[in-house]
Amino acid sequence: MSVATFSVEEDSPTPADAGPACALQGTPLAAALPGINACVHCGFCLQACPTYLTLEDENESPRGRIFLMRSLLEGTVTPNDSAVRTHIDRCLGCRACETACPSGVPYGQLLEATRATLREAELPPLIARLILFVFARPTLLKLAMFGSRLLAATPIPTIMSRVTGRAGFGMAMLASASAPLERDMYVAHGNGEHGTTAVLLGCVMEGLFTETNRATERVLTKNGYEVCSVPGQGCCGALHAHAGDLEAARKLARKNIEAFEKSPTEFIAVNAAGCGAMMKEYAHLLQDDPAWHDRAAAISARVRDVSELLAAAGPVPGGRMPLKVTYDAPCHLIHAQRVTLPPLAVLAAIPGLELIPLRDSENCCGSAGIYNLIEPETSDAVLAPKLENIADTGASFVATGNPGCLMQIGAGLLRSGSRARAVHPVDLLDASYAMQVTATTD
Amino acid sequence: MSDTALAEKLVEIVGARFVLERESDLLVYNSDGLPGYRRKPRLAVFPGSREETVAVVRALAASGTSFVPRGAGTGLSGGALADDVVLLGLHRLKRVLSIDHENLRAVVEPGVVNLSLNRTVAPLGLLYAPDPSSEAACTIGGNIAENAGGPHCLKYGVTLNHVIAITAILPDGEIVVLGNPEGEIDGYDLRGAFVGSEGCFGVALDVTVRLTRKPAALRTMLADFVSVDDAARVTSAIIASGIVPAALEFMDSPTIKVVESSVYAAGYPADAAAVLLIEVDGTEAGVNADRDAIREICISGGARTVKVAQNDAERTRLWQGRKKAFGAMGRMAPHLVVQDAVIPRTKLAEVLARISRIAAEHRVTVCNVFHAGDGNLHPNIPYNADDPDEAARVHLSMGEIMRACVDAGGSITGEHGVGLDKIGYIELIFSPESLNAMCKLREVFDPDHRSNPGKVVPIHSCQEWRATPAGRSSEEHGELAGAAST
Repeated sequence: MSVATFSVEEDSPTPADAGPACALQGTPLAAALPGINACVHCGFCLQACPTYLTLEDENESPRGRIFLMRSLLEGTVTPNDSAVRTHIDRCLGCRACETACPSGVPYGQLLEATRATLREAELPPLIARLILFVFARPTLLKLAMFGSRLLAATPIPTIMSRVTGRAGFGMAMLASASAPLERDMYVAHGNGEHGTTAVLLGCVMEGLFTETNRATERVLTKNGYEVCSVPGQGCCGALHAHAGDLEAARKLARKNIEAFEKSPTEFIAVNAAGCGAMMKEYAHLLQDDPAWHDRAAAISARVRDVSELLAAAGPVPGGRMPLKVTYDAPCHLIHAQRVTLPPLAVLAAIPGLELIPLRDSENCCGSAGIYNLIEPETSDAVLAPKLENIADTGASFVATGNPGCLMQIGAGLLRSGSRARAVHPVDLLDASYAMQVTATTD
Repeated sequence: MSDTALAEKLVEIVGARFVLERESDLLVYNSDGLPGYRRKPRLAVFPGSREETVAVVRALAASGTSFVPRGAGTGLSGGALADDVVLLGLHRLKRVLSIDHENLRAVVEPGVVNLSLNRTVAPLGLLYAPDPSSEAACTIGGNIAENAGGPHCLKYGVTLNHVIAITAILPDGEIVVLGNPEGEIDGYDLRGAFVGSEGCFGVALDVTVRLTRKPAALRTMLADFVSVDDAARVTSAIIASGIVPAALEFMDSPTIKVVESSVYAAGYPADAAAVLLIEVDGTEAGVNADRDAIREICISGGARTVKVAQNDAERTRLWQGRKKAFGAMGRMAPHLVVQDAVIPRTKLAEVLARISRIAAEHRVTVCNVFHAGDGNLHPNIPYNADDPDEAARVHLSMGEIMRACVDAGGSITGEHGVGLDKIGYIELIFSPESLNAMCKLREVFDPDHRSNPGKVVPIHSCQEWRATPAGRSSEEHGELAGAAST
């Protein structure tokens, strides 16, 4: 009888086994190789990936994209291969694969490194560059947000929200952002027993969700945090990092680090999941910058999602609000920050609120930063099951703690004729506190 | 037919988005769950419905084109690799067609993911019993191809025991029903032949699966040992006691460490040499008695502690660690090989000791995580294929481990299938006559060997095939079959 040898021997060397030769030396992708090597191709990420489930091609899955990243490094494909660019572009960056991955592949970092590398070969589409250009410039951004607010104050967005296409969707986003939950104003009092905190105002949050930012300050105060203002802060840089413009992201990060260093609060509260995830990863973003790395790590260590702070402090229960609410977990909260229970604790502090579980609440809604403006078709396809699941709950409010998700889901609800509304959990808690104040004064 | 003409024909059937022709689009389909192997498909086609699947298979038949059916590409034997033939992806056929609650059965398409079938039937108090560790990703079609097992197959049986009938399209385009959806099978059990045929007999279009009522009660236990030997002997002792646990799983120290460093950390004791994850199910009174008996066997067999999961969350955590262990090994090294040998349970201690000596001799790390109750070993070796010396040592070790298992009276695969990876070992356990009989069985379904060519049985084993000039030339460039026998 013949003796079998291990047959892979005859099979090797495959390109993967051809040694450390690298086609893209010195690029961010080459630096990310250890993360790529952590993938053993088990496929456990497939069913977690919204683009794989929607587009049904493994090129649109984490495992597939990692294979393409590896192929880029091996030189089997080149950075200007249009197919590769499309598959990388189509990733939402939701990072649901990270919470499914037993091997701990840092997929979000790999994606950013890949996009940064592909950018060197060919620039992203004009609309993406335009948006990122504006977000990197505070004055322009303020102007844009001011213009958006003016527009939002008119009936135009609502009227236009049913128009088909991206313009209509954009208007629906604006319309859904412009009217947060109505509530009576109150002045929050607290004893500051849980420490001091700064609040990241953010660009979209301060621009379009101003009331939510004020509500954030009020509920933090009421829950025993002393809120300090931090001048000089700006955009967190998340949109730039996700798009692979790491230099712009680093610039914005350094500016924020400087600003928050000047105000040495114990915490930095963030009410936008995407921004919180970015700030928690400043240390990684600036890992190759010796002058800034430690400073970045110190800032990252102070960052908390607002729900984390509230949950740690209780939160203090509010006045009764008999509402049917469902909760959709923002990807950058549940997957990137791994914050799952605190937002539910925030909602549980509202007496009378009925929380209805949302099927697949951990799945992406298709917002993904500026993705919904650049990849509208895929974004719509990812949003569709989310809207169905929301409709099945019969809830009148969908709570979610990220401006992109608020507008994406809000716009989807508006355009589908649903009467349900998207709302930040903090707004619900704030309204509940306002009700309490009204009740006592009455 | 030229590739272009074939692609055009397939595009007419499934649409342009679901026919991949460009090399860069096909790259990710060069590998399945065992990325040490890469094979380039000629093109890939993903039908979205039963009708499209039938039309695609018939178009391939009309042009005499060979193809490889593929589910989710989670297989661990290279079984779904297409070497210059068409890759037929069935992952889009993912509908649960019907659930017959009263008769405990469901009809599903082949691309339905194992876990999503379970999620669908769970609200009815039902489950689909075979639970391979890749359940979160693998498809029912792939489970049928490999006759997949899983931890709970110890008590409930493997895929074959849970498939009532299969409507399949044969490679020549004929549609047949194998088994009887109503229950009794008349004549030969061709369903039994199809399950485990590794994609060589055709493509399932729909599958009638058996559903099982959720047990009334469960007890999940974790016994930890300071000696691998003790854990192995306790495994035999539990089975010998007459109790049939729902599952009885073994993990050794390197496996425990890697799982504990992952997002699926389950609270396994970091200093244990081995743990046994044991589950019993049945009635409330019965499981308590079994739990006590098993605890007694474990403790008297040398277990330090036996911890019982107190609630569903704890149970899930204990299981998630076990089920994600394979994926977690990416933390140790970029490449991974795994074997799937089955040995008599009573030889566990002896074979594990032999494996440990082989590992030490070749300076490789073996992580043992396996279905101990079935004697189904899974020695995993994480390694860096970029290091030729290490790769050579790993390959030597795997060969020796496999021989040790065969010497102990075992077989070469329990549930992963032969595929490409174990084709070199098949002649260790089958005579030329047996292999030729397998070829003849295959030819009943696929006379031209067009479905998943070059897998399971080495082509040179098919005597009639060998007699033809085409067969001889196949033998010459049959690199795997030839190369693996020295």
